[in-house]
Amino acid sequence: MEGEEFAVGCFLSIKTTLGDEFEGQIISFDRLSNILVLQEGLESGPRRNIRLLKANYIKEFSLLRQDEDPLDVKKCFLDLTSLQAREDSAIRQAEADSERFGVGVTSEAQTLFDALSKTESCVAAF
Amino acid sequence: MNIPQALLPKSSSNGFARRRGDREGGARLESKVQSGKSNQGRIQATGSLSGGKTGGYESSSRDRLVYMTTCLIGHMVEVHLKNGSIYSGIFHATDAEKDFGIVLKMARLVKDGTLQGNKAVTEFISKAPTKILIIPAKELVQVIAKDVAVTSDGFASELQHEKQQEVLIDSVISQSRHVGLERELEPWVPDEDYPQCPELENIFSGSWNRNWDQFETNQKLFGVKSTFNEELYTTKLERGPQTRELEKEAMRIAREIEGEETRDLHLAEERGLDLHDNFDIDEEMRYSSVYRGRGFDDSGYEEEEDILLDSQNIETFGDSSDSLSRGPVDLTSLQRNEGVRMSSSTSFVDEAPSSKAAIGADLNHTDFNDEAKQLASEIPSESFSVSDSESRIQDNLLGEHGGSKDAKESTEKLSPSEDPQLSNSIDSQSLLIDKLDGSDKAVPSLNSTTHAQSSSLSKVSEKPSASGDLAEGPASSKVTGETPSVNTRGQPGSSKPSNSDCVAVSSASSGPGLSPSSSMGSLSSEKSTLNPHAKEFKLNPNAKSFTPSQTSVRPPSPVSDGSFYYQTPVSPVPHMHMPVNFGIGPSFPGHQPVVFNPQVAPMQSPQAYFHPTGPQYGQPMLLGQRQVMYYQPDMQYKGRDY
Repeated sequence: MEGEEFAVGCFLSIKTTLGDEFEGQIISFDRLSNILVLQEGLESGPRRNIRLLKANYIKEFSLLRQDEDPLDVKKCFLDLTSLQAREDSAIRQAEADSERFGVGVTSEAQTLFDALSKTESCVAAF
Repeated sequence: MNIPQALLPKSSSNGFARRRGDREGGARLESKVQSGKSNQGRIQATGSLSGGKTGGYESSSRDRLVYMTTCLIGHMVEVHLKNGSIYSGIFHATDAEKDFGIVLKMARLVKDGTLQGNKAVTEFISKAPTKILIIPAKELVQVIAKDVAVTSDGFASELQHEKQQEVLIDSVISQSRHVGLERELEPWVPDEDYPQCPELENIFSGSWNRNWDQFETNQKLFGVKSTFNEELYTTKLERGPQTRELEKEAMRIAREIEGEETRDLHLAEERGLDLHDNFDIDEEMRYSSVYRGRGFDDSGYEEEEDILLDSQNIETFGDSSDSLSRGPVDLTSLQRNEGVRMSSSTSFVDEAPSSKAAIGADLNHTDFNDEAKQLASEIPSESFSVSDSESRIQDNLLGEHGGSKDAKESTEKLSPSEDPQLSNSIDSQSLLIDKLDGSDKAVPSLNSTTHAQSSSLSKVSEKPSASGDLAEGPASSKVTGETPSVNTRGQPGSSKPSNSDCVAVSSASSGPGLSPSSSMGSLSSEKSTLNPHAKEFKLNPNAKSFTPSQTSVRPPSPVSDGSFYYQTPVSPVPHMHMPVNFGIGPSFPGHQPVVFNPQVAPMQSPQAYFHPTGPQYGQPMLLGQRQVMYYQPDMQYKGRDY
């Protein structure tokens, strides 16, 4: 978007073209890719809700306030190995979970299945 | 960077399931995907590492973007697409070099944007998750991720969390690192208005003046008629005009006892003293009743500690040296005759009382002098000593080899004669005296556990008496004329020397020679019942009731079984109750200060000994009623005999 200078740390209220509305604090904005990285919710601890939004889908926005950088650069370092491990474990988990999701079933049926499986060990028949 | 051939013509095919493959953006990612995950990983990596490639003042923002996307790897994200579809999957990679197309793994279509209207919501049919889903940047509207760890602390906690979720190992579950912590104990405070226990305070205080009669209450509430008669269980208290005085006296004594200094941890705790000098004392040591051979608590003392023992004994028994003197004269004489006094115990054994003696001896003794085997059981001042001595003597005799062999025999003979006297104590005492007199070797010194005076009693409990005891135990009855182990009973610690000679057998050093045999031996070889070198009977204040099974403490007796055990012809083995019974002789009135806690740990051998002869107590209880008495005083009595 031209003319829009997104400063880091600003709190924005945004409406997207898809109808989403939310507020967030800017972590970063990459012009090249036009992606706005937002942090939603209040920063309460090390975990945050992150949203990557393509700026071209912003219908409208408004600046709420300006705050300091939510990202403490000094603390930002990653361990790629552990990331990989996390991913692997998530995949494993997802694979296990996928057994529980019915294919070709309505969401209603899925809900039922989920509820039942809490108490009984349900096996999905394929 | 591996996206080199990323820009293949859209129509290029690829092996991966692609939702948007046909769309223009899809092609871009194909190559990446085709090259394998590693590429993506690498892309990501490179992306994150080399954020600066884009250059320009935007590099920092680019870097941040790359960083953020990297943070998302492995995270569950929701990707919104232009057409309204929403996919949920594990964020795998993004094209950081270009326009950030997304690759998801195990993606599921959460909302199908292509469906129109309500249909999309209610009749959403689930499909199998897509192993790998490539989303071109063009389609991408937004990526939403929740609870993303952005900073290092976030990562740390996240990893922890994940680990815990996946695999719960026992140590995590038990949180064992908390176990070692000592709890901060707080006194219990009853609820403010809990009406049901208003008298908690009253019930337990002033126990003598309770105005609550349990029997009466029981009768009232449940109609239970009680047949409780206090006198069945304890000494009959003479309540008469002097009751008050007696009570006062008793209280005084009690106070004195409780106020005594003690080195025993448990006692100290009870009395409110703090003995915890070394901090290796943990809860177990303080409150467990498991004996682990700890030195400071109730271990056997070495000879040099006889004095300490003596003092303990005095503590326990008061100065009862006199009692010793009262010893059965006959016994002594007999002993003299025989030389080896097999601690009349043997005889006693036969007769029953002897067993007591044996017991006594055992109890008492536990230390042996250096002499060979010592029956060193300290003879409690009381009668016990006698019994001990007797048994000891026997033990000694049996066990020891030193002294006069005849002693043994003599002891045996003694026994019969002694028998009636059961006052084992007396016997022992006499024995002690004998020993003291330096009688000949014949008398195996009774283990000199100092009788009463010394705390030998305490020793009894544990010391695995070395050879002597063990041997003696069984021996005792056997009267194997061993040697007159002279058990020096420590007359308040003084008779040692006298015993020494006799004590050859007594194996002074044997530690707590409880073994009855020791006692026997001692008796027989008595010179003086006080064996100065005997390992004193260590009264183990903690000792609980006699547990015959306590064999683990003592090392196996070196004494050959044969010799000692089967003295049958000589002395009825079975009567080896002695070793086992630390009981107090029948003559012991209820208040018998038998301190010998049947902790006769050294009883090990006797027990072993018993096996061959059959069940220990299956034997005809020659002792008859004495048998009963054996166990009666539960050796907790540490008091003095008044």
